[in-house]
Amino acid sequence: MAEPMVVDVPLEDNENNEAECYVVENPSLDLETYAASYTGFAKLYRLMFIADHCPQLRLEALKMAISYVMTTYNVNLYQTLHKKLAEAIASAGLPDVAVQMGSQDIPVLDTMWVEAKTKKAAIKLEKLDTDLKNYKTNSIKESIRRGHDDLGDHYLDCGDLTGALKCYSRARDYCTSGKDSNQSILTRLKCAAGLAELATKKYKSAAKQFLAASIDHCDYSELLSSNNVAVYGGLCALATFDRSELQKQVIVSSSFKLFLELEPQLRDIVFKFYESKYASCLRLLDEIRDNLLLDMYLAPHLNSLYMQIRNRALIQYFSPYLSADMRLMAAAFNRTVTALEDELMQLILDGQIQARIDSHNKILYAKDVDQRSTTFERSLAMGKEYQRRTSMLILRAAMLKNQIHVKNVGRETGPQSGEAPGSSTSLTPRGFDPVPL
Amino acid sequence: MASPLEQFVNNVRTSSAAGHFRDVLELIVKSDEVLQRNKAHLNTVLETLDVQQHSLGVLAVLVAKYSNPQGTNEVDKTNMYSKIYEFITNCNGEQVRLEPDLYAELCHQLTDHLIEIKQPIRGIEVLKKAIKKIQLFDSQLTSVHADLCQLCLLSKCMKPALEFLDTDITGIGSELGGNNDSKHFLLYYYYGGMIYTAMKNYDRALYFFEVVVTVPALVVSHIMLEAYKKYILISLILHGKMLTMPKYTSQVVCRFLKPLSVAYHELASTEHAAVKHRETFVRDKNMGLVNQVLNSMYKKNIQRLTKTFLTLSLSDVASRVQLTGPAQAESYILNMIEEGEIYAMINQKDGMVVFLDSPEKYASPETLCVLEQQMAACTKLHQYIQEMDEQIQVNPQYVKKSAGSHDEDMPATSQNSKTTYSM
Repeated sequence: MAEPMVVDVPLEDNENNEAECYVVENPSLDLETYAASYTGFAKLYRLMFIADHCPQLRLEALKMAISYVMTTYNVNLYQTLHKKLAEAIASAGLPDVAVQMGSQDIPVLDTMWVEAKTKKAAIKLEKLDTDLKNYKTNSIKESIRRGHDDLGDHYLDCGDLTGALKCYSRARDYCTSGKDSNQSILTRLKCAAGLAELATKKYKSAAKQFLAASIDHCDYSELLSSNNVAVYGGLCALATFDRSELQKQVIVSSSFKLFLELEPQLRDIVFKFYESKYASCLRLLDEIRDNLLLDMYLAPHLNSLYMQIRNRALIQYFSPYLSADMRLMAAAFNRTVTALEDELMQLILDGQIQARIDSHNKILYAKDVDQRSTTFERSLAMGKEYQRRTSMLILRAAMLKNQIHVKNVGRETGPQSGEAPGSSTSLTPRGFDPVPL
Repeated sequence: MASPLEQFVNNVRTSSAAGHFRDVLELIVKSDEVLQRNKAHLNTVLETLDVQQHSLGVLAVLVAKYSNPQGTNEVDKTNMYSKIYEFITNCNGEQVRLEPDLYAELCHQLTDHLIEIKQPIRGIEVLKKAIKKIQLFDSQLTSVHADLCQLCLLSKCMKPALEFLDTDITGIGSELGGNNDSKHFLLYYYYGGMIYTAMKNYDRALYFFEVVVTVPALVVSHIMLEAYKKYILISLILHGKMLTMPKYTSQVVCRFLKPLSVAYHELASTEHAAVKHRETFVRDKNMGLVNQVLNSMYKKNIQRLTKTFLTLSLSDVASRVQLTGPAQAESYILNMIEEGEIYAMINQKDGMVVFLDSPEKYASPETLCVLEQQMAACTKLHQYIQEMDEQIQVNPQYVKKSAGSHDEDMPATSQNSKTTYSM
């Protein structure tokens, strides 16, 4: 079992982002195949995410989720899903979608099932509990670990994540040997770590983690599929790697190559990018955008990843030139000249491109930085800053030595109410009286 | 003459003559009440004392005489200035330095008096003298500094204060700290900041306001609040954004000042705040600065353009900087070129602005001279810090403490050995 902690983080992130609503109109996603590559919560949550963001696939996704959830003990989720389904049908405006689907295959809420499952779950829980107690009295470490594990699995099955987390972390205390660690677990750890880095916006480390995964051992359907690894790793790498890194670690990497084969579109994107065919690369990126927006882990980061890839492309495009015609450049990036000008301006201000724009002739000139002048400029600024800080420090030392601090004494000696420009200032701190620290 | 007063005069004379100024000090603390009660006779007392020889005695009498402005009669009021002037000019510095509290009190009285009669400019020279007399060294802050700055501000005559403001403070007079509230400390830096603001030396103004805001605080003073508002404004003028407060800023300050200066924070994010909170700014008498903030925002944006563009049409400048039109853009750019804030040329034929690089090549003797001066200043500061460090190293208290704590850190020291050590 993977680190339970890792599962939790992206889920929370996902919850946060549900607030920002967007709708995907034309996905080219085959839901059946998509769902087939996941099991457990990954499948459920991914389907729910799609249902939330894509009206076109909403009904289908919900139905699939419901039929899957019926194989588990997760009664709560079953009910939630049904509620959602009912809402979806109501809001879809019955005419085309719902009617075409035929109301016959819309599942109805099966209360009998709910009751039966709840009962069964309770019985199973009791049984596992007694088992665990027995193991404990026999104090065989391995059995106790398995007992905790089983209990955790069951909690997970019922949808009780906190309970599951508790059991799994207890199970960890009873781990006896390192014999469980093998390639497969390592890959899982890499994937999970990559997801965690992605969720915390550390795209470069995320890319490195995903790139280190090995495809032969990548059966991790509880969390993500091999295709996901390819997409996450590929995009993060494009956004953050420089040219040589991209070549060494992605394009000629024998292990990641196999991942890329799973996602031919992404493979093309990476290669086009490397071959500096930015227009087609960016067009391809736009094509897969809709599908990627339906990925619950990637969606919140998609915009910033795309932005970074674009900026990287702009920087790379310009890097060999002393001057570049912005009209040609705009054509290469599918942009108008004015939009390109804005983008370039931002990049120059951020210091990512050393250049100046000749807006009159629409030419971008590389700016040769006068190292000597900049050094002078910077050392003078640094000197000023040093003097400022140091005199502040000396003053502060004197203040502390003389016990200067604002406190509540001498209040009654009202300050002179001069007509000074600062007259409103010379008031005692009456309004703020003793503030508890 | 009442006998306690006679006694007071005699004691002052004998102790002063013998050079026992400590005794005089004790005496005047004790006789405060006597002096207050016999206000009517104080002029006679003054005649019997010599300003130079009995400075402490005279000081006590003068302070008592003017301590209650309402009670002071008109004649006294009219010659108050000359009396204090004469005292400050002629008194014995060594003596008065023993009682800086009282000395500062006298200066505050003079300041209040001059403000009341609306002749602040008369006090500037006296107070400058007063400060120099009581200071032990040039970079020592006294509570008279604040009075001087206040008078300078009121008389709109800033220059005299600059020689004091430009000296970085390294020591603080005892009358400012300890059990006194730090009002005069705060006021000095607040007024100082305002003077520098008036002189458009924003760098220095920001430094002064920062000092006010970062004074260790258990409660928040109004002076700090006003300084904080100006700190935000100056920081916007100077840097185009709000600087973060230093880490050592007191917690109360962060917690209470922000909610009380919402309008100013909004100004940092959007210029519409200037219109929206106009009343607040006018009430706080900060409208002038707010206008300067707006002005500098345009300028900052234009300066940013020079970093990214070689050429740009005037109408593009106007739209990127959100000015009303090419004409306004042109006037801004013209002004900035004149002030040396940007280097550019305007081609009126096709309305194009050509931005140039700064002509400064850091090769002229002048620049190198500046560089050397800056380096010398840095070295001097560094030496000062080292001296401070050495002083701390040999401070018996510090040595004892650092040795003591080191002892405690040692893991398995038995109770016995510890006690022997500390004994």
